[in-house]
Amino acid sequence: MDKKLSHQNTSVLGLELSAFSYLDAPASVLRDIQVEVRPGTLTVISGHSGSGKSTLGFILAGLLPRYGMDQLSGAIVIDGTRIEFSSSSTPHIDIAQWAQHVGMLPQDAGHYLSGIRGTVAEELAFCLENDGVPRAQMHQRVAELAQRLRLGHLLKRHPQQLSGGQERIVALAALAISEPDVLVIDEPLAGLDQQAAKLVLEMAALLRAQGTALVILADSIRFWAQEADALWWLDEGTLKPHASELLGDHESAGAKPRRPAPSDSPLVLSMDSIRLSYPGSDKPAVPDLDLQLRSGECLGLSGANGSGKTTVLKAIAGLLRPASGTMSLTGTTGLLLQNSSDQLFERTVLREVSFGIPKKSSLHQRIAEVLAQLGLESYAQTHPYELPASARRLLALATVMVREPKILLLDEPTEGLDELGEAKLRAIIAAVLARGGAVILSTHDEEFMHSVAHRVHHMNQ
Amino acid sequence: MPRLPRLHPFTTLALAVAVVTMATAASIWWLSCAVLALCFLVSGWSGHLKKLAMLSGAMLLPTFLSLLLIHGLIARDASPAIAEWGPLRVTNHGLEVALALGLRTTVLVVVGLLCGLLIDKHQLVAAIDLSPVPPQIGYLLAATLFLLPQMAEKQRQIGEAQTLRRMGTGSGLAGWFQRVRLRAVPLVLGSMQDAQDRAVHLSARGFPAAGAHTRLRTVPDSSMQRGIRWTAVICAVLGPVVILALARLGGR
Amino acid sequence: MSSNLLLPEESSSQTLRRRLLAVAGTVILVATYLTLIITQPMGIVEGLGQGVALGTFAAYLVAAILLLLAVLPDLPVSTLTLIPVALALNIILGQFVGSVMVPLYLDSIGTVIVGFLAGRRAGAATGVLSTLVWSLFAPTVLPFAAGAALVGFLAGTAARFGALRRVYLAPVAGLVAGVLVGVVSSPVATFVYGGTSGVGTGAVVAAFRSMGDSLLSAVTKQALISDPGDKAVVFLIAALLVYALPKRLSGSFAFVRRYRVLGKHVSK
Repeated sequence: MDKKLSHQNTSVLGLELSAFSYLDAPASVLRDIQVEVRPGTLTVISGHSGSGKSTLGFILAGLLPRYGMDQLSGAIVIDGTRIEFSSSSTPHIDIAQWAQHVGMLPQDAGHYLSGIRGTVAEELAFCLENDGVPRAQMHQRVAELAQRLRLGHLLKRHPQQLSGGQERIVALAALAISEPDVLVIDEPLAGLDQQAAKLVLEMAALLRAQGTALVILADSIRFWAQEADALWWLDEGTLKPHASELLGDHESAGAKPRRPAPSDSPLVLSMDSIRLSYPGSDKPAVPDLDLQLRSGECLGLSGANGSGKTTVLKAIAGLLRPASGTMSLTGTTGLLLQNSSDQLFERTVLREVSFGIPKKSSLHQRIAEVLAQLGLESYAQTHPYELPASARRLLALATVMVREPKILLLDEPTEGLDELGEAKLRAIIAAVLARGGAVILSTHDEEFMHSVAHRVHHMNQ
Repeated sequence: MPRLPRLHPFTTLALAVAVVTMATAASIWWLSCAVLALCFLVSGWSGHLKKLAMLSGAMLLPTFLSLLLIHGLIARDASPAIAEWGPLRVTNHGLEVALALGLRTTVLVVVGLLCGLLIDKHQLVAAIDLSPVPPQIGYLLAATLFLLPQMAEKQRQIGEAQTLRRMGTGSGLAGWFQRVRLRAVPLVLGSMQDAQDRAVHLSARGFPAAGAHTRLRTVPDSSMQRGIRWTAVICAVLGPVVILALARLGGR
Repeated sequence: MSSNLLLPEESSSQTLRRRLLAVAGTVILVATYLTLIITQPMGIVEGLGQGVALGTFAAYLVAAILLLLAVLPDLPVSTLTLIPVALALNIILGQFVGSVMVPLYLDSIGTVIVGFLAGRRAGAATGVLSTLVWSLFAPTVLPFAAGAALVGFLAGTAARFGALRRVYLAPVAGLVAGVLVGVVSSPVATFVYGGTSGVGTGAVVAAFRSMGDSLLSAVTKQALISDPGDKAVVFLIAALLVYALPKRLSGSFAFVRRYRVLGKHVSK
């Protein structure tokens, strides 16, 4: 392969990377990467959680290497200018100027939003405000942008009251207002339901239509494969062209035939005319629920946002007392919440999982077992906050599984998991069902739900 | 607050400062009471009466009690005592001092709280951003005000998640410490990591602005309000000086 | 074109102006403090000393604001995003721990954390800002801004000189800080408010007065009883929290790296 980048003036961004390593980390995370981005193209880079996709994205956006901290050797060509990086000379990059050429939307769109503006219009104008653009011009540009990207209906909304998908498109628009040549987007569809994903895909199409090149970092290339101009696979720190066999693999992985639901096993959970409401609100979150669960059964809960799925799970776990109705439960429950990484607080993975388990207890042997089951043994001495996102979610699951709950309750378990993680999750669910337990699962991921659940209960609202 | 005319936040602040400094300097009980009455009237008009009363009451009750303890009970001046038990000595003068000091603090608290209730946070931040102070101040004020409820909510969620782990039921100091650790550490970890993640994107958007910066939001202002502000600031600074000088002359 | 993407060096006239502001702020603070201590206006008894009250309030507040303006432009953006978190932690952790029947305020944990991680200037700025934001909900805290700045400043100083390398040194540093802050803030409580704001502390002050102390010495003695203990606990909790952070996070602060603030007992 030709090492030198072609200095065609059609390429808006080029990366020639020999090695990149973080501060205090001896091993280089990325090695020998060449990427060239032409105007209006769609480049997709996929890889497992922890493979370094986000790192690569940050490098393209000029946000890494941090001055005086990380080490990058190589060069970046941006809009005709070549900037060299080496261990002896690290240039001090003007991040704000770089962002005029290459913008980046991080995995959590909320990190990009300023959090200090009261309306979406002001949020969009934030970059311009910092540039000292006169007010009349700002109004005009915001109005133009909103029209072009079809955001007019969101302009007066409060940025912190937006849904996940809306937050992402507002952040994309805020990025687009400075009219960069390239936008790097990290996991644009993660955690979104179908409707929200559609919004983001439409926005991406609009952006490409006006000539912005997109570099998408995604775990799964399903939505992008057809339109991509370049498909890459990031593995062991270096880019390889995406093999089409892998495409086939992804599709067949989920299509396992479902076993029929067991109809004669004992009931583990029975809820009759359950009414759930939160203190302080007059409308009940769940007005009337009848639910039964048998041993060995996996139940899916489906419904729109706000239909009370999480509330039901919390009630079964004992966090919320039903206002009326009867609920009978046999065995212990374990609940994996959506923001499960919020509860992590120990210094190492091992300590986190062993938390609350006295040394003499019988559960002690489970700790090593659970870590092995979820593929976390190599991380045993790592700080939970230094784990890649997928591993962190699995760690939260490990803290639930170590107590061997009879009924496993999962709230959006696939969020944050990459494909390997999802496989581990399936294995865990199968294991729980095999030993006579039961699983209740609430998720946006229709495919996952249909491939795992025996039956689906629709929450009506 | 639909009925109050749209005052520039700085006008409200300037008037408040002027009122507090002059009332404190004058130290005439009926004047201070008149100021308090005016404040409660304004709060009633704008719909914040109950909140103002409750907040100021909660803050002032311990203060009054403390002052009564310090000055009311242990008066060491020469005036005749109302009651005496050992080291405790209650005099009229002592009680007067305690009440006067309490009234002084009350004016500060009530006027200050009223300001806080009347001023719209977004307008205040925009006014600060549009003024010559460094842009970091507006950001820090806004970020804190909007972050507080988010973090309180997060704290609640963490509490819920930790309840599920069925720990933190130990007794005694060790158990209490465990519970504190369970609630505090995840909040600190999560919010600090969050702060670090946000920083780089904020820089990428050009914050803090090196040169001139503007705001999309307009803060309604008028030359009359500017005049009022200047007058208020001058009164706040010179007023007490004049009042105290007059008092001293009158006292001689 | 390439210079467009790279940052220029900072101009020296900026640093001079900031230094002047910092000096002005410190001078005002020290001068006011000394004046009050030396002249000890007994206005409280003879006419309530309104002039002294207003003067002290204004001087302490102006000093704090000058220090803030001196320090603010220097702070990197990673510190600027940290400060609101610290301010929120001040309130939330203070409330949470204070809900137990312990007679401590513990409302400066966030300020001290910033001082430990980002240095004394950032700590001082956090202290002032904490007071300014808190004053929207409780206007009486305004003149204590200088004391709050001092807490953050001392936290940064302690971290710089290695008090954080062993966790048991942190409360000792906190004790010293508490003494200094108590002494600096006592004149405010005395001359601006004529006493303290809590019933417990008021009782202590009354007790000292009944033994013959002047108001200023009674308030100072009460401060010396409660502040060192309070700050020792705050420094200890802040140290434990800083050690609970992953190394990737604490190591990303230039201050921590430069002065080797944290000892070996950090997570990998």
